[in-house]
Amino acid sequence: MLLPKRLRSSYNQLMDTIVIKELTKIYQDGKKALDSISLSLPAGEIYGFLGPNGAGKTTTVKLACGMLLPSGGSCLITGADPAREPHRVHARCGVLTEHAQMYDQLTGLENLLFYAALFGVPQDEARRRAQRWLAELALSDAGEKKLASYSTGMRQKLSLARVLIHEPEVLFLDEPTSGLDPESTQKVHNVIQSLARESGVTIFLCTHQLKYAQEICTRFGLLDNGRLLADGTLKELRARISPGIRVSIQTGAGTSEFSLSAREEIPALVSRLVSEGAQIYGVSATLPSLEDIYFKLTEETAGEDRS
Amino acid sequence: MKAIIKKDLLMLVKNRRLFSTLLIVPLVLTVLLPSVMLLAVFLAPEEAADFGPLLDLLPASLKEAGLQAMIVTAIVDYVLPVFFLLIPVMASSVMAASSFTGEKEKRTLETLLYCPLTLRQIFRAKVLASFIISMLVSLLSFLLMLTAVELETFFLAGRLLIPGVSWLLVMLLLAPAISLIAITLIVRVSAKSQSMEEAQQKAVFLILPLILLIVAQFTGLVLLDPLLLLILGALLALLAFALLKRALGRLSYERLL
Repeated sequence: MLLPKRLRSSYNQLMDTIVIKELTKIYQDGKKALDSISLSLPAGEIYGFLGPNGAGKTTTVKLACGMLLPSGGSCLITGADPAREPHRVHARCGVLTEHAQMYDQLTGLENLLFYAALFGVPQDEARRRAQRWLAELALSDAGEKKLASYSTGMRQKLSLARVLIHEPEVLFLDEPTSGLDPESTQKVHNVIQSLARESGVTIFLCTHQLKYAQEICTRFGLLDNGRLLADGTLKELRARISPGIRVSIQTGAGTSEFSLSAREEIPALVSRLVSEGAQIYGVSATLPSLEDIYFKLTEETAGEDRS
Repeated sequence: MKAIIKKDLLMLVKNRRLFSTLLIVPLVLTVLLPSVMLLAVFLAPEEAADFGPLLDLLPASLKEAGLQAMIVTAIVDYVLPVFFLLIPVMASSVMAASSFTGEKEKRTLETLLYCPLTLRQIFRAKVLASFIISMLVSLLSFLLMLTAVELETFFLAGRLLIPGVSWLLVMLLLAPAISLIAITLIVRVSAKSQSMEEAQQKAVFLILPLILLIVAQFTGLVLLDPLLLLILGALLALLAFALLKRALGRLSYERLL
């Protein structure tokens, strides 16, 4: 579509599934949990919402689902305002938080069927979907067991099956892999990625595990003390902090570290070293990881706050 | 909404501790208590002096039937209905406490709130589930009591007993009204309590007015005749309506979590 850039961006915002504008939340005790954050996500994006505990991640999810009312700003989730029509938002969203548990006295399957009924999924279809997700998350054997006998990891996986039972367009996942073993973590990641890629589900993933986030997310927001420090793809974030690249070169004399501004400078560096007579055994270049970026940004803002 | 009601009923049956509380109290109140009273009247009529102040209040028409028949009527039509009202209070409190505070305590309430129903719909479904249980327990208790009392009077006195109009008022007006009051009060209490036990303990205070009525009647202070029951029932129904409306008006996610 040929539209002027400004118009195009507002058209995109209309089509985006999650649009958050200057969202602010001040709790009754005066604590400012969120300070004017804005972001906009299209369908199929896996958004890593990152920050330490208490940064405001869960508050954002609660505001986006209408569990809390904003002190300022607004959200639109699939076109509906959670502050005004929370039930319409809920119909299209799946929400997984550590506080949203299921019933211990019911079996895994009974739990899934109950939530499916709440979302208006016909019974046969609900059973089919429940069996499918139980199988996909390696819970088939546990489907007939009461939740009381589930381990933390099994509960977490069943919660994921619960939020998928009504085929939502948007998923809010708050620490979805906490308490999972590496194998299950991988399974959950695969499910998340295929949902975003194949079904165009928008995924809002809150976590403080930066390494995992870097593996699966397509876009990141870094949150600290209720403020969105940065928002963008890994490439954009790297460009924002010093676009440096660290190169370590093993020579006969040992390993030397170099700091370059771009990948393209590596061959020149190597040929210069060779022409100087160095014996080169290995060259490895590392781009700043999400963790590096995160610490750099929090340091910067801490510095700004002090001055 | 149906799914929530169905689930709440299913959970009750699966929770043995809760289920047994709901069964034992009515059994004591509707079978054990009347039986002991009736047996006492038939086997040891001289003990009937305890009923003295109450008997003095009974309408004159009853006095012609003889002391024993009078005491039986006093028990069945005047004493038992008040005791009986403890059943809906107990049943609805236990059920509402588990259905609201229990969900909050087990952290399942938040999950429920994420479903595409409005808060009002969820609230209504839960009140309705508690109400259905309360009425069901009350009805079963009444039938059980009736059977026990009829059997006893038949074998001991050789005749059947026709329960007075008081019972109609109790079953159709007082029990439903008092259940709704108990449920809405529990819901309000449960918004502030962190555990199911705490909510249930606070609910015990609901029984106090009933105990006062029982005592007042035994000491001859008031006689709960059908007219008084009708007035009381109408007042309670109004109160239930007002409380329910107020509770619906004050609903919000932030208040619930």
